[in-house]
Amino acid sequence: MTAKAFLVKDKIALIAGDSKLWTKPAAVALVEAGADVAIAAKDTPRLAEATEAVRKTGRKVLAIPTDVTKAAQVKTAVRRVVAEYGRIDILVNAGDVHFFQPFLKIRNAEWNKVMDYNFNSALSFCRAAGKQMLKQKKGRIINIVSGLSERGMVNGATYCVAMGSVLQLTRVLALEWAMKGITVNAVGTGWFAEADRPIDEAVARYIPVKRYGEPDEIGSLVVYLASDVTEFTTGQLMFVDGGVMAHA
Amino acid sequence: MPVEKKGSLEGQVIIITGGGTGLGSAMAFRLAEEGADIVVAARRLAPLEETAAGVRKRGRKALVVPTDVTDTGQVNRLIEKTLGEMGKIDVFINNAGIVRGDRPKTLWDITDQDWRVGIDVNLSGAFYCSRAVSKYFAERKSGKIILVASGEGFRGQRNSFMYNTAKAGVVNLTRVMALTLAEFNIRVNCIVPGFVDTYDLQPEATQKLMASTRATWRLFLPVGHMGKPDDIAYLALFLCSDASDYITGGYFVSDGGGLTGGFATTGYAPVVSLMEGLP
Ligand SMILES: NC(=O)c1ccc[n+]([C@@H]2O[C@H](COP(=O)([O-])OP(=O)(O)OC[C@H]3O[C@@H](n4cnc5c(N)ncnc54)[C@H](OP(=O)(O)O)[C@@H]3O)[C@@H](O)[C@H]2O)c1
Repeated sequence: MTAKAFLVKDKIALIAGDSKLWTKPAAVALVEAGADVAIAAKDTPRLAEATEAVRKTGRKVLAIPTDVTKAAQVKTAVRRVVAEYGRIDILVNAGDVHFFQPFLKIRNAEWNKVMDYNFNSALSFCRAAGKQMLKQKKGRIINIVSGLSERGMVNGATYCVAMGSVLQLTRVLALEWAMKGITVNAVGTGWFAEADRPIDEAVARYIPVKRYGEPDEIGSLVVYLASDVTEFTTGQLMFVDGGVMAHA
Repeated sequence: MPVEKKGSLEGQVIIITGGGTGLGSAMAFRLAEEGADIVVAARRLAPLEETAAGVRKRGRKALVVPTDVTDTGQVNRLIEKTLGEMGKIDVFINNAGIVRGDRPKTLWDITDQDWRVGIDVNLSGAFYCSRAVSKYFAERKSGKIILVASGEGFRGQRNSFMYNTAKAGVVNLTRVMALTLAEFNIRVNCIVPGFVDTYDLQPEATQKLMASTRATWRLFLPVGHMGKPDDIAYLALFLCSDASDYITGGYFVSDGGGLTGGFATTGYAPVVSLMEGLP
């Protein structure tokens, strides 16, 4: 939903990270608001699907198969975007893998994998794209996180720690780059419908607006934060959650 | 769907309290440009008329209803009058507040009456207005309520008892309203401005009051400058439009990074109380 003031006409957006939920809607929303996008994510059918969805709108799209857990590949991906488009105006970190296990059952490899996908990928992209944005003296970084960046949950140790890390990185970079034309914000998410997973009615009843969100519904906030009218907004976490975070 | 059309407020009726000056008038102008008809309500007539003229200049309808938001009778009349003249209400923005009070008093000089006035204007008024308009919204099964808090509602400030306490209350009032009204398809969200320079949108007398503090406020902000009224007006636009339909009970800070740090003197945050800088 884009008012004219929120349009990101001809801006270059990089959507980073493979997420069942966020990669495609973030890319499509930015493209519908006028941006050209690149998507750097693991080479899966999902990357192809997101790319195709963007291509259908008629805007330019660049798919960059990337192992986002490898800093070197992230650097290469960012270089590729700059080579192709000349700059990066908007970075959206969309990485989000779910993993829930009792704390003592979590193996090191599992812990590290969740940290790699949900946090370290965002870290690498902020490093590589941030460097470019500092050169431009302008940029928008938007990290998509869960409500579990702020709240705890049983069996959520690694997920909560990874998300909380992204949130703290958001705040620190916001301050470090506050005078350099770069804003860094987080979009917080609640319960969203996944195509391949049935809706849990007990959860839906618990959500104040009584329904799961559709992944598309994060798009308007991503676009708003990416737009030129938000230069005074930085270091913030803003929720699209149907009221979940207002609960006790 | 053509993007330019989406998010537009074409034909919506929006009430803004405190709409005569400052952020309220900035919101009125932006929202009018997006197609909304605007109702402004505050105590002084002259500033309200000025905002209304600005709205009409933008080709939209404007209605002025002098209102003291601390008086339920006047608040109810505001709703009735708006429905009578404009036919409906889509969004209610609780923006009235007292930003620049009298010279701050020390704790022991604050009277019960001082306390009541501070809480009434900054908190109770938002409750009276939200209660009144939500009844209409509930019958209609749609509507948006926006409250305006302040960064001060999240932190303490030496000697600032009523303002900081009331604004903290506004943040939680937002949540309770949102949870209570969700089933009626009413969305309730809170705007949290940091230091925004409204100098140009103030009557002359207020400008004089602001002049001495203007220079120092930016020193508290990581971005190194104060916000523009439009920073907040566009946030209001986002929260008024259908772009935010799955958003409720949230608070939305635009403050140049002010609330993000605050643990150490970073070079932007002088170790003095803002209140002491007030005239
Ligand atoms: N500017 C900032 O930096 C900043 C920062 C944080 C929060 N805010 C908040 O943003 C809102 C607008 O502030 P502003 O900066 O635009 O200041 P402002 O120009 O002084 O606006 C406040 C408005 O509230 C109205 N008002 C006060 N008491 C009222 C009452 N009892 N009934 C009805 N209206 C009343 C005033 O009009 P009358 O006197 O004619 O009634 C005035 O137009 C306030 O809630 C403020 O706390 C502002």
